[in-house]
Amino acid sequence: MEFGFTTAAYVVSAVLFILSLGGLSGQESAKRAVWYGIVGMALAVAATLVGPGAGYWLLSVLMIIGGGAIGYQLATKVQMTQMPELVAAMHSLVGLAAVFVGLIAHIELTRVMGMDAATREGLSGFAGLLAHKSGVEISILRVELFLGVFIGAITFTGSVVAYGKLAGKVDSVAKKLPGGHLLNIAAAAIAVVTLITYINTGGFFPLFLMLLAALFIGYHLIMGIGGADMPVVVSMLNSYSGWAAAAIGFSLGNDLLIVVGALVGSSGAILSYIMCKAMNRSFVSVILGGFGGPQGEQMAVEGEQIAIDADGVASALEEADSVIIIPGYGMAVAQAQQNVAELTRRLRAKGKTVRFAIHPVAGRLPGHMNVLLAEAKVPYDIVMEMDEINDDFPTTDVAIVIGSNDIVNPAAQDDPNSPIAGMPVLECWKAKQVFVSKRGQGTGYSGIENPLFFKENTRMFYGDAKASLDALLSKIS
Amino acid sequence: MKIGTPKEIFDGENRVAMTPASALELQKLGHDCVIETKAGDAAGFSDKSYKDAGVEVVKTAAALWKAADVIAKVRVPDADEMKRLRADQTLISFFSPVADDDKMKSAAKKGATVVAMEMIPRISRAQKMDALSSMANIAGYRAVIEAGNHFPRFFTGQITAAGKVPPAKVLVVGAGVAGLAAIGTATSLGAITYAFDVRPEVAEQVESMGAQFVFLDFDEDQKDGSETGGYAAVSSPEFAAAQLAKFREIAPDMDIVITTALIPNRAAPELWTEDMVKAMKPGSVIVDLAAEKGGNCKLTVMDEKIVTENGVTIIGYTDFPSRMAAQSSTLYATNVRHLLTDLTPDKDGKINHNMEDDVIRGATIAHASAVTFPPPPPKIQAIAAKPKAAVVELTPEQKRANEVAAFKAQTKSQVTLLAVGAFLLLAVGLVAPASFMQHFIVFVLAVFIGFQVIWGVAHSLHTPLMAVTNAISSIIILGALMQIGSGSFIVVVLAALAVFMTGINIFGGFLVTRRMLAMFQKS
Repeated sequence: MEFGFTTAAYVVSAVLFILSLGGLSGQESAKRAVWYGIVGMALAVAATLVGPGAGYWLLSVLMIIGGGAIGYQLATKVQMTQMPELVAAMHSLVGLAAVFVGLIAHIELTRVMGMDAATREGLSGFAGLLAHKSGVEISILRVELFLGVFIGAITFTGSVVAYGKLAGKVDSVAKKLPGGHLLNIAAAAIAVVTLITYINTGGFFPLFLMLLAALFIGYHLIMGIGGADMPVVVSMLNSYSGWAAAAIGFSLGNDLLIVVGALVGSSGAILSYIMCKAMNRSFVSVILGGFGGPQGEQMAVEGEQIAIDADGVASALEEADSVIIIPGYGMAVAQAQQNVAELTRRLRAKGKTVRFAIHPVAGRLPGHMNVLLAEAKVPYDIVMEMDEINDDFPTTDVAIVIGSNDIVNPAAQDDPNSPIAGMPVLECWKAKQVFVSKRGQGTGYSGIENPLFFKENTRMFYGDAKASLDALLSKIS
Repeated sequence: MKIGTPKEIFDGENRVAMTPASALELQKLGHDCVIETKAGDAAGFSDKSYKDAGVEVVKTAAALWKAADVIAKVRVPDADEMKRLRADQTLISFFSPVADDDKMKSAAKKGATVVAMEMIPRISRAQKMDALSSMANIAGYRAVIEAGNHFPRFFTGQITAAGKVPPAKVLVVGAGVAGLAAIGTATSLGAITYAFDVRPEVAEQVESMGAQFVFLDFDEDQKDGSETGGYAAVSSPEFAAAQLAKFREIAPDMDIVITTALIPNRAAPELWTEDMVKAMKPGSVIVDLAAEKGGNCKLTVMDEKIVTENGVTIIGYTDFPSRMAAQSSTLYATNVRHLLTDLTPDKDGKINHNMEDDVIRGATIAHASAVTFPPPPPKIQAIAAKPKAAVVELTPEQKRANEVAAFKAQTKSQVTLLAVGAFLLLAVGLVAPASFMQHFIVFVLAVFIGFQVIWGVAHSLHTPLMAVTNAISSIIILGALMQIGSGSFIVVVLAALAVFMTGINIFGGFLVTRRMLAMFQKS
């Protein structure tokens, strides 16, 4: 009777979770959909507390309240520019929780296996569930919890490193230990060997060894990936945290965990795929880290970078009818989104068409730029995706590039030998005039020269994005 | 520096190289201006207007040549003037380094500097000084006006009470500056205008001026004119033959023919042959702007207007700009003024003859007692447009075939995927117990739903998506909750920690999603 109720609650929760993800197809429906998720989660937790998780329920509730308080603090304090860090940090918690739950399953399994048949019959709760399993089921259970711990551990250390890189606490340059991917392969081999041993013996040692190997893989893999590939990494870790949940769901025989894990896992996988496609790189090449060297002689860049001051930009903006702004990670770093939004408001007040062009990999998190602009109260209906706006550049008077580089690099189209050849880019150089707000004359993440900066219709607006925009705003009423 | 302009002594030359307006601008550069009396009379600029502009007016040419450091004039100096040219004097005028070779050498010998307006390189930066273009523009305009003067009909077609008047048909051969000006003038007068040029890339410019481009049935890669400094190159005999055949075909239809074809430093090519003239209707007019270089039509007589036996008027004047002296003087004086602006970079009235500068170097044919012609090729080339890659236009059948092929490929990959997936599933089913398979079905379906749902998520909401998936992936809390009551102390601790961490995640994830979503606002 109790279990029947719990299962029913799980069905409702699962439906609510699917609706809450589906609702994210539009800005308005998303506001409603998040409530579906919240209700679904509350229902699932409550049903578990009442049903199979009734033991020590007070402790559970206290722990949830404690965790909730911290979560509340985090969610209300976090700056929107810090979203990537927050997401990475949260992934690490899911990963660690998966490891813990997997370990408990192992401990309990060992305990139950040690009992005689009569005692087993008397067990209830989680241990009781384990007690009724047959030999093959036990083996499968071992594989499941092994996988859960493995993926959870990779997610944990990987997310911690990703957090460190995104928060600037770890150097974001791609780094590998001597030995490179051989170390990863060795660690993976250890995991396979320990898996086989574990299925046969069920001992703690192989599990522990695998845990160490997985922790190492997570750390080393993400250390080897550079800052601009973080959108892919974060979505990949998102995906992993889902798969870990699904694996744990199998070992616990809990369908809701499986459903939700699969939803989250596929969501992260799709995001990774979208990000990779936007960089025209295969998933494997991103994960293995770093750009390949150029495949041949790169086109020489001719011309010179011509600088311009705020007065020049202001007068060009006064004359322009249509403006497209292309924000990038540099805008987030300089915290310039409020100034960008203010500029947009003033230009729109003069009756000019102002729009934003967002490249899928702009920023450090999928959709990062959209959130920053939304925070600065830029209406979302003037924030366009690359495919929506790329054809409009030729009819645009002014394109302003703020803190992006590789995503507006014409070499991706013109130079077949360029390392980023074939990557879809925003064709801002087709606008009548392009202004690039940039710190200095350096190259982008990929380390390649950007011919955009040398084009005849491009003017460089050097300086910190925020300071430059401040100067610009003082010229535009 | 003192800039002086003498009166042009060439017979029939009405232009003057300095106007009151350009003199004012020159004075802003720190120069003084001096002009010979009555120099501007023929162009409509009186001595008084020069005086009002602060220009000193001197009585004789001799006094002027003596007083000025820089002489700006229109025509190449004649023998007397060459005698007056002295060392360290700069001469700016039309000066053909090929035709006036000996004058150039004598000027160099004297130590004078000569800047030839003809030699200004054809690059974007120098357009404002390009006197050839500004004169050609006037010549093109005037050619149409002269033709109209001798053409006995209207340009534009009219339907009047007294009957219908057909529009005149005008053919412009050579779509350079003069040709384009002629096309513009003829179309604005209402004529039906055709144009031909050996450079097919100018077809666009021709059509933008309102004329039809006459295409030849001829396959040969023509050189892009931009590679040769914007001028046409010599064409192959086969091409020339095809071109003549085309002209012969359309000659009887044409009322007015304006030929402007010139190739630098060569005699003008013959494009309008005698038999074409004979084929034309009586009253038709030919204006040969290449008369000075022998003419595009062999019947042309330089500087004269003739009428052939079959009543075709052929105009061979070479002084079209001079016939519009006020206009051409204004433009020429402005060209000279721009050149002097470049020669006076500091605007301090001191000439800095920078031989490193592409434009100045190119135009200077004598400097520092040496002949400096021909100049080295300019550092900046006029950028020739790259030949466009031919885009193969697909026929509807091909498109359809492509679509079918793509669909088949898609079906194939989908079926393969399904088959492999089904096979793997069956293989798992063979060994796995039923309890596992039940969960497995749920898992596969959930992945399926996940893929379907997530593709629909708006790109702009990817960050909220990550936050919310984060929150719901903390569903793992259920596992911890189920385990917490079961067994030993260590289990309780680990489970409690897991509940704690997922608790952070659930609250943090949902709240931050809500915060983010609330920010998205419509305008």
